[in-house]
Amino acid sequence: MNFTFHDRRISGLLAVVPAHERTFLEEMKNFDFPVARSMKLKQVMGYDKHRIVEGTVCASDLAVFGLEYLFKSKLLDASEIDALIVVTQSPDYFMPATSSVIQGRLGLKQDMFCLDINQGCAGFLMGLFESFLLLDQLSVGKVALVNVDVMSRKVSARDRNSYPLIGDAASLAIVERAGSGEAIHANLKMDGTRREALMIPAGGFRLPSSQETAVLEDDGTNNFRCKDNLQMDGSAVFNFVQVEVPPMIESLLHSAAATTDDIDYFLFHQPNRFMLEKLAEKMKIPFDKMPSNIVGQYGNSSGVTIPMVIVHNLRERLVGGSLTACLAGFGVGLTWASMLMRLGPFAFCDLIEYP
Amino acid sequence: MEEFLQRLAEVLEVDEVQGSSVLQDFAEWDSLSALSVIAMVDAGYGVQLGANDLKKLGTAQELYDLVLERRRK
Repeated sequence: MNFTFHDRRISGLLAVVPAHERTFLEEMKNFDFPVARSMKLKQVMGYDKHRIVEGTVCASDLAVFGLEYLFKSKLLDASEIDALIVVTQSPDYFMPATSSVIQGRLGLKQDMFCLDINQGCAGFLMGLFESFLLLDQLSVGKVALVNVDVMSRKVSARDRNSYPLIGDAASLAIVERAGSGEAIHANLKMDGTRREALMIPAGGFRLPSSQETAVLEDDGTNNFRCKDNLQMDGSAVFNFVQVEVPPMIESLLHSAAATTDDIDYFLFHQPNRFMLEKLAEKMKIPFDKMPSNIVGQYGNSSGVTIPMVIVHNLRERLVGGSLTACLAGFGVGLTWASMLMRLGPFAFCDLIEYP
Repeated sequence: MEEFLQRLAEVLEVDEVQGSSVLQDFAEWDSLSALSVIAMVDAGYGVQLGANDLKKLGTAQELYDLVLERRRK
């Protein structure tokens, strides 16, 4: 389905990553594969370093740290936030919502709309959709959109399929009215029949965690994980992205009467370098217009990767100026969404470390 | 078929692949080679194969036959 939004912008963007960094070379010994093959994997997928939380750091810890930074740096006034949207697949609790946890920990005002959204790699776009819609209300002037995940806590360290790419991070986007500017075009599709391609089978009400769900099993390819862990059907996800994303972008550009030449950057979710390069080749987009360097620097942090690719690569351009960007997210659900919008100038576009 | 075998050899980083070559017998066959083959077949033939399809296959010839069959659909 297609969407058009008017009078909306992102006015600032902050990313928070754990200071704790691990490298693929250190972790390689946990995998049951020949060293040469793991080195090949590193090269093809672009794996190198990733940031993961230590101990029991939770989603709200990263988000509260980031919001406090914005308050202290006078980049955001707490009283201005009228809505707090938290997009996460790794909430602090089943209940209450992590947005309520964050609101309470920061002592934010009661005149506030708090909402959690359970979304992953398309989560930044889902969050923007909701933020844009809330701004239809005059009582909402600023929306704080938080994307956060600490999925490393749910990935088996002996799963070469998922562990080397996982990253933990949070991002805070301030969304408000633009006053003027161009229309924002977007589209979204969802397919729940393919919901098992990316899932954590146990730990919910369908299959509560137990001793059995904690037993590591070989999936047949020397990767060991249990039902409490994230499970990803790599080839199904690869095919999903290669089949669904190019026509989605084509349709988006068509709706906006734009061509790829009109786009300064294709800022896509960052599953791994391999998948992004295959996508760029298929869509005939030069690699330098589609950065793919986030997995190797920080890891894949689901819905946080689009903010990460922005703050890591385009900070100078966006603080001083603006650019036309095509954003796209694709993953769990399955969900795939894209958006064509003008980004910048931002009041802030930073990356900070959670100690 | 010849072109297909050549592409397969490039992806598997070996000098030559024959129709009778058994995929799983390549020294370096693993989930990464499987994904590389899946990507090659997607980019070159517009056909989507799953990891499970590859597990069921024996030889390069069988892989080629499956690609042709899927492409016809």
